Amino acid sequence: MKDFDYFSARTVEEALGLLSKYREEAKIIAGGQSLLVLMRQGLLSPEYVIDIKGISDLDYIRYDDVDGLRIGALTTHRSIERSELIKEHYRVLSEMERNLATIQTRNWGTVGGNLCYGHHSGDLAPVLISLNAKLKVARLGGERVIDIEAFTKDLLEVDLEPDEMLLEIQVPPLKPYTGIAYEKLMVMQGDIGIVGASVLLRLNSSDGVCEEARIGLSGASTVPFRALEAEGVLVGRRIDDSVLREAAEVASEKADPPSDVHGSSVYRREMIKVFVRRVGKVALERARQG
Amino acid sequence: MTARKKKEVSKPTVLLREEEYSIIGKPIPRVDARAKVTGEAKYAADIEVADMLWGAIKRSPYPHARILNIDTSKAERLPGVKAVITGKDFGGFKWGWSRETRDEEPLAVSKVRYLYEGVAAVAAIDEDIAEEACELIEVEYEPLAGVFDPFEAMKEGAPLVHEDRPGNICVEYHWNFGDVEKAFSESYLVREDTFQTPRMAKGYLEPPAVVAYWTDSSHLTVIPAKGSPYFPYRILANCFNLPLSNVRIIQPFIGADFGGTKNDMVACDFAAPMLARKAGKPVKIVYTMFDELTTCLRRHPMWITIKTGVTKDGIIKAIQTKVISDGGAYTRMSPLSNFLTGICMTLPYHLPNFKTDVYCYFTNNPSSAAMRGHGIYHTRFAGDVQLDMIAEELGIDPVEIRLRNAIKNPKPGEIYETINKLTLATCGIEECIEKAAEAINWKENKARQRVKGNKAYGIGFGCGTYLSGTKLSGHNACAALVRICEDGSVNYITGATDVGQGSDTVTCALVAEVLGIGLEDIDIKRVDTVHTPVDPGTYGSRVTVLAGEAAINAALDAKRQLLEVAAREFGVKPEDMDIKNKKAFVKSNPEMSIPWQRLVRMACYTTPGMVIIGRGQSSRGITTYGLADFTTGIGNIGTNYSFTAHAQEVEVDIETGVVRCTDNSVIAHDCGFPLNPPAVDTQVVGGAYHPGVGAALYCEFKMDKGLTLNPNLVDYKLPRAYEAPMTRVIHVITKDPFGPFGAKEASEGSTCTAPPAVINAIHDATGVWIKELPAKPEKVYWALKEKMEREKK
Amino acid sequence: MKGELKDLKLVVNGKPYELKVKPKALLVDVLRKDLKLTGTKRGCLESTCGVCSVIVDGMAVRSCSILALQVNGREVTTIEGLSEGGKLHPIQEAFVNHGAIECGFCIPGRVMVAKALLDENPNPTREEVRLAMQGVLCADSGYVKQIEAVEIAAEKMRGGEGR
Repeated sequence: MKDFDYFSARTVEEALGLLSKYREEAKIIAGGQSLLVLMRQGLLSPEYVIDIKGISDLDYIRYDDVDGLRIGALTTHRSIERSELIKEHYRVLSEMERNLATIQTRNWGTVGGNLCYGHHSGDLAPVLISLNAKLKVARLGGERVIDIEAFTKDLLEVDLEPDEMLLEIQVPPLKPYTGIAYEKLMVMQGDIGIVGASVLLRLNSSDGVCEEARIGLSGASTVPFRALEAEGVLVGRRIDDSVLREAAEVASEKADPPSDVHGSSVYRREMIKVFVRRVGKVALERARQG
Repeated sequence: MTARKKKEVSKPTVLLREEEYSIIGKPIPRVDARAKVTGEAKYAADIEVADMLWGAIKRSPYPHARILNIDTSKAERLPGVKAVITGKDFGGFKWGWSRETRDEEPLAVSKVRYLYEGVAAVAAIDEDIAEEACELIEVEYEPLAGVFDPFEAMKEGAPLVHEDRPGNICVEYHWNFGDVEKAFSESYLVREDTFQTPRMAKGYLEPPAVVAYWTDSSHLTVIPAKGSPYFPYRILANCFNLPLSNVRIIQPFIGADFGGTKNDMVACDFAAPMLARKAGKPVKIVYTMFDELTTCLRRHPMWITIKTGVTKDGIIKAIQTKVISDGGAYTRMSPLSNFLTGICMTLPYHLPNFKTDVYCYFTNNPSSAAMRGHGIYHTRFAGDVQLDMIAEELGIDPVEIRLRNAIKNPKPGEIYETINKLTLATCGIEECIEKAAEAINWKENKARQRVKGNKAYGIGFGCGTYLSGTKLSGHNACAALVRICEDGSVNYITGATDVGQGSDTVTCALVAEVLGIGLEDIDIKRVDTVHTPVDPGTYGSRVTVLAGEAAINAALDAKRQLLEVAAREFGVKPEDMDIKNKKAFVKSNPEMSIPWQRLVRMACYTTPGMVIIGRGQSSRGITTYGLADFTTGIGNIGTNYSFTAHAQEVEVDIETGVVRCTDNSVIAHDCGFPLNPPAVDTQVVGGAYHPGVGAALYCEFKMDKGLTLNPNLVDYKLPRAYEAPMTRVIHVITKDPFGPFGAKEASEGSTCTAPPAVINAIHDATGVWIKELPAKPEKVYWALKEKMEREKK
Repeated sequence: MKGELKDLKLVVNGKPYELKVKPKALLVDVLRKDLKLTGTKRGCLESTCGVCSVIVDGMAVRSCSILALQVNGREVTTIEGLSEGGKLHPIQEAFVNHGAIECGFCIPGRVMVAKALLDENPNPTREEVRLAMQGVLCADSGYVKQIEAVEIAAEKMRGGEGR
């Protein structure tokens, strides 16, 4: 790793000030679980590293029935995994975290860091896509809110200007008869998923027609992927296994999965079909329970 | 049918009856456990000496290229750099596993033969400067066309990895026993199948590391992470033209070995001493995991074509194998690895006719070498999966077909000899199979439903053998010293290395058992080549068997010296006395006794005062039967042989192809006599899981023209805890007369049985055969899909 | 200025330290080189193998994936801090007595992860033990004895030892 200059920011203001000063020459480090790997490999050599791990103001999980869930960008994966609030209102996030890497990574790595890494096989983004989340991003003197599915622009490239920082994840409250689930294809527990599917289904009653469907996929494209067309197959219909199968086929067709040492794109396409169907079934059962 | 002979087996000395064992045969706490669990144990990378410099290796960016020029001037001028060396500094020295195969230079001089091969090295005041200096070394290469698998290498007109090795042949063997053609013609069923084993990393977590320094211009000290410290001892003596007595290898704690790299030399082992000499200061080099995964030794990938002929009842009449392997850039241990693919094919099933042709090719990939399970695992995998295929074709139960072919345990005093003259005094395979089948509830499980929802369950068997107490040509002797200090404490001085398998503990226990004192009274003095006796090394499952024998003999010698003193005191002959529970006593009148400490003091202080040093060597097996002949495949490769039967259940997700081992897992293992039963358990379980199940399900280097595509532990998967089956181990006790207290090796056998057990289990669950390891999800998925398509038609 | 040494104040195994370190220094290297605590091992350096695991503010983390400066003001426990006055912690004892140690290279990291688990969850299920052990690779033992050793230690600690 090359040498760099180091600042420890104690407040958001401080961090944004440093970012606006050093811009492209600086990199933020939160948990560093992705960043340090890239820096050790020589793929990134920032002149300045701004350590924001100490900004306690960004470590929170809040919920109310009106605004929904607010997660500070520096909340660790482990906090999400263990939060009673999360388990009660957005259990799928806790379930997803349980299989994200290993305990040590979850103890130190942050949800903000994970999202800003911008990897197509990250677990958090697809779940947030299905939850219709938004991200609050700030620079000195201004904030903006981005739809989660627009955040990752390309592999490892996110919608952040050099002087901007992610502050908060915003998840809207869930309506009744909504069910969500996430599962990924792992060879070993904790693996990066070969593919993964997060499905949200909202019915108009306990046995009713689907009013809303949102599907986020990992390992399906160069970015976390929203399976819009597959969602269209589900909305307005009473969902059963064959409908799920149809949606899964469409999701697979529209995806553009990568090929790597863990799986070919052909295999990934087949697995997208399997997981959209499997996860959709769980989401449906959960939706029916209210 | 069994080739039994009534041969005179040299009677082993009966030291103790089993009921009299105080220490061995029971759980023995490891003597090094405390140091390891507190963090006190120092491994090579933990060693720090005053004034130490840090070294780094400059590596080639081409897998095959001529080196035209190396300019080190810029590197030498960088502040903080204390020495720079290139291959030329070694004066033309070449080395190899054996005298005939010295084809490798410490750092490449005229040609590089694999990607990242070392061409120069730097020593500097810190790692950063050393690495920066490496980048400043300018090397001019002429890239050459290369060959990247044996099939490219064997083509007519293919580029040669070594100009003096036509056809890129590293080693080949052609053995012929009996008449396979006749046997095939008489067989009811003949099958031929081809299998493939993957290119694997050793899997240890401690990367190679070394500290080297010169105490004067002709005395070298090296502290390396080496499981066989006497290899660098000899090789560095040659390299630096020093008498052996001037080379001091001090062995630190070793973070596992498994047979290559840590058992053999890599660039840092030569570079550190050379840099230290040039700089006049100690030099430390620590490899990264990237270095380990891209340049260090790997398990050979092999392509095994096996043809087997059987009778209608499934009795094996003949086996013919053709083995093609990728030896990588240098010869290294390939002669031994490839030899081993054939030598034990005549075990564990009776085999009357056997023919094999083995071809190992040079390629421009990192070198292949030994790994736990070694050459035997490849052909055992092929043989035991094909046996299940045969069983299926004939409609015979897989356990039954194995029992029908299993070599029966020779009666005491008798020897079973294979057609290639391996000799067994004990063979517990039959009992192993029966016990494993019973423990896994084989009969009930055969009838059960395989598929539950989107999961399918199956149980597979794998059986195997492994050589124990390897005897190779060359230096096989193994020695120990037992020094009794005046206060009664005992030093056990050994040249053998414990790389984690527990040999230190077992050999100390043997010494304590023989001397009649407690394990806590023994202090082991580990390898320091200026003080400890030479030892062949930690490989071939030889340490407990051979170093154990040396330890016993050294303890007997020390005991005899003490008993001579005691006997004089009591007016009896030494053979009339014994020592037990720290008391020397007259056997016929145990009340005539003297406590251990008092006896020792008496011996040491009564004028003229003795210095009691017991010395012992192992010689068992070396003179009794002939050494193996590599050219013909005849003769014993081991002092004795272990046997293993392995039953493993798997769960297959039939929609995704993901395979998991379940906790329904049994290994019945004949290691003769388990000297330290819990240690045997862990070794057997670990040997099955890490390299065995690893090969079956997870581990594989992917290559592209010499480039390793997955040189990190995310993309190269090592087996983990969540997926580990809670395997039960059953001990089958056969008490081999050629092992210390009846012992044979433990655990390399289970490395050989796990892959066929898992692959056979996948077949039992789903009906598909995966013949190319590892059975990764995608592979299993396509096999399942293909089967479904076939069944539709 | 690039590479300029920065102040680092931290408590390791109960002892306070004041150091000056380069920004790029990893926690594992500061522990091993500056504080001579070589019990924590360097393995893959890529956040996968876990042999470098230590406890920071009660959480098991990979010390190869943390800049030393990030633990400024925090408390670190390494394997050396576990035994008190030569008496082994129940987790250490369980590993020794149950024969769960082979080459030992993964043991310091593994024991620290086990400690963090049992301090947070004194009565883990086997599943939870496996999940914790998933973060530290072993190359030799097959994990069985290690999983059992953690369970044995948990029972002892529930009985009041090692608090």
